[in-house]
Amino acid sequence: MYRLRFHGRGGQGARVASKVLGTAAFLDGYYAQDFPLYGAERRGAPVAASTRISEDPIMERGVISAPDIVIVMDETLLQDPLTMPVSGIKQGGIVLINTAHSPEEAKVEYKITAQVLTLDITKIGLDMLGTPILSTLAGGVAARIVGLSEDSLRDAVKKILSEIITDKRLLDKNVAAALYCFNAITPAKIELKTTDTIKKKSTVISVPFEPATVSSPAINATGNTPLRMTGNWRVFRPDWNYDSCTRCMICVARCPDGCILVNEDGYPYTDYDNCKGCLICVEECPTNSLGKVREVHTKKVIGK
Amino acid sequence: MRKEMLTGNAAAAWGVRLAEVDYIPVYPITPQTEIIETLAKWISDGVMDSRYVTMDSEHSMLTAAGSASATGARAFTATSSQGLLYGFEMLYAVAGWRVPLVMVNVSRGLSSPITLEPDHNDVLAARDTGFLQIHCETCQEVLDSILMAYRLAEDERVLLPIIVNLDGFYLSFTREPVAVPDVEQVRNFLPLYQPKHAFFKASQPMAQSAAVLGGSSYSYFKYQMHMASQNALAVYKEVCDEFETGFGRNYDTIEGYMLDGAEYVLIMTNSFSTLGKAAVNNARERGIKAGLLRLRLVRPFPVADLKAAISRKKAVAVIDQNISIGKGGILHSEIASCLYNEKHRPLLLSFIAGLGGKNISPDEFEFIINKIVTGVDTEDAGTAQLIYTDKEWQEMGRLKRMAGKG
Repeated sequence: MYRLRFHGRGGQGARVASKVLGTAAFLDGYYAQDFPLYGAERRGAPVAASTRISEDPIMERGVISAPDIVIVMDETLLQDPLTMPVSGIKQGGIVLINTAHSPEEAKVEYKITAQVLTLDITKIGLDMLGTPILSTLAGGVAARIVGLSEDSLRDAVKKILSEIITDKRLLDKNVAAALYCFNAITPAKIELKTTDTIKKKSTVISVPFEPATVSSPAINATGNTPLRMTGNWRVFRPDWNYDSCTRCMICVARCPDGCILVNEDGYPYTDYDNCKGCLICVEECPTNSLGKVREVHTKKVIGK
Repeated sequence: MRKEMLTGNAAAAWGVRLAEVDYIPVYPITPQTEIIETLAKWISDGVMDSRYVTMDSEHSMLTAAGSASATGARAFTATSSQGLLYGFEMLYAVAGWRVPLVMVNVSRGLSSPITLEPDHNDVLAARDTGFLQIHCETCQEVLDSILMAYRLAEDERVLLPIIVNLDGFYLSFTREPVAVPDVEQVRNFLPLYQPKHAFFKASQPMAQSAAVLGGSSYSYFKYQMHMASQNALAVYKEVCDEFETGFGRNYDTIEGYMLDGAEYVLIMTNSFSTLGKAAVNNARERGIKAGLLRLRLVRPFPVADLKAAISRKKAVAVIDQNISIGKGGILHSEIASCLYNEKHRPLLLSFIAGLGGKNISPDEFEFIINKIVTGVDTEDAGTAQLIYTDKEWQEMGRLKRMAGKG
């Protein structure tokens, strides 16, 4: 059995990617199971999805804790201590990262012991679809890594997308992009041994009683939300041209996250630590003083 | 018939579509909403001919669904956890009307603290209402159980509403291959509902659900419901046989996995049973004669089938994915009461596991199975135990510190 885990951010397409892979495997005659897990349903929040592919009926459910393959659709998640996308990856397994880095660079940068493959899926998405929604592309990459057929991938993308979009041209572009990604990587061979899990056995304990000062679901600590920078979610950063800015403040009023501040001279500027890159400011600016530049670098998640 | 990858929710929607339901009042709640969204889309696309109404709460939704059922329409609705509890008053009311409503509950742990993932305190809270309960392990079973539920509920010997239960996330959002039967095939199995006792006809007026005082009438009506529920055990077997003849899949009141020749038995319900079956395979590889019994029909409780299956086993561990605060595992209590007067009865152990969707890992199952074996050796069932690991305790410590709990 192959166990794959996709990691992305809400809106990026991890859930649909796992479905594309599951359906492609099903069409190739395998038993398949896919399962997404997300908490708050909001854009940008970490999302994981699991796909199991097997020649025999699948006797597992839920999140895959020891994957053979991990697809990291957003490389900023690699530094998120709550997500830890490569946790549990088996020795000899494969981690595919959506990044502009080379595999060697990524392996060092993120201290990954498993095999690393890289592909700038975001760039392919922008070039071929005009948007950084990467579901079918990541599905295509995964289908190649596990050795599924191109025909089944094509049919799976058509089937899954026709359930959620009606735009035939966008659907065709997705098919093309998925197949492009399918052929863009040369998969390493997965070299798993059956005894490769290095995880420690967990022990069942007796949970002791604790008084309600501890055991009621109340949070006594002061809020720590400001420590959690959301700027690393950005695919694009708003880019300012102050020559034409009239200080009309429409951008300040329209920013949904309060991330546009005003400097001493009365000019607005972006709080890049927290701006999620929604680009509403770019849309709203009446003098076109705001443009967009793609982010390719990663930043720390928790404040310095 | 065709096979495709469906979530448990989509499988539920297919069951409703194939049952050609007339009326669907709805109110959304995670992790159920995909069911009613799917039905809404089909009705909007014109591939399904039903009346679909969005309501202002689960209380109104259940009232509308039960009332529609009392006019003779085939009705469906769905909810989960907090929603089920919000409509709770109407569960008893609708069951008392003796109407064959079928409702899906997608299990989710109850607040507080609020959560999203499954355990069975929600659906088991409804166990005394008069609703029959069918609990499902697979997406296929969800679709099939809805068809079987209408047959069972609409049978004159039963005429009680039914809850079909599936686990949130672990089944509701999990896709696996599901065979979708043809509608003609379903029509052969599930004919049109022909109400004889509760319907809406201008020429035959009736007042349903009269008020009673003094207790003797009340006792009569309540006990009739109980007997109808007991009748459902035999009717279920007929429905089960006919379903197997038509569709080739068998769903008895209980499912035995490696139960023949087993000395040690795990009892579970719903989707985590799959994990239990894998644990049984592992135990067998270690030379331990383990088996698993999955309770499918929870109301009426399949007492005779259960006794026949386990009374001569060495030991049974009930893994309750629920907790009755102040007592322990709900199903453990129910199973213990079935066995008390038996001449031969197994040692009965109690475990609480998988609350709020907590995973039960192979290591944890191994712990449970070892406990059963040592329990037999020492003739001591021990006390009920929460299945919780050292790693989870460490993580809980980290969260407590983060929350400022010292």
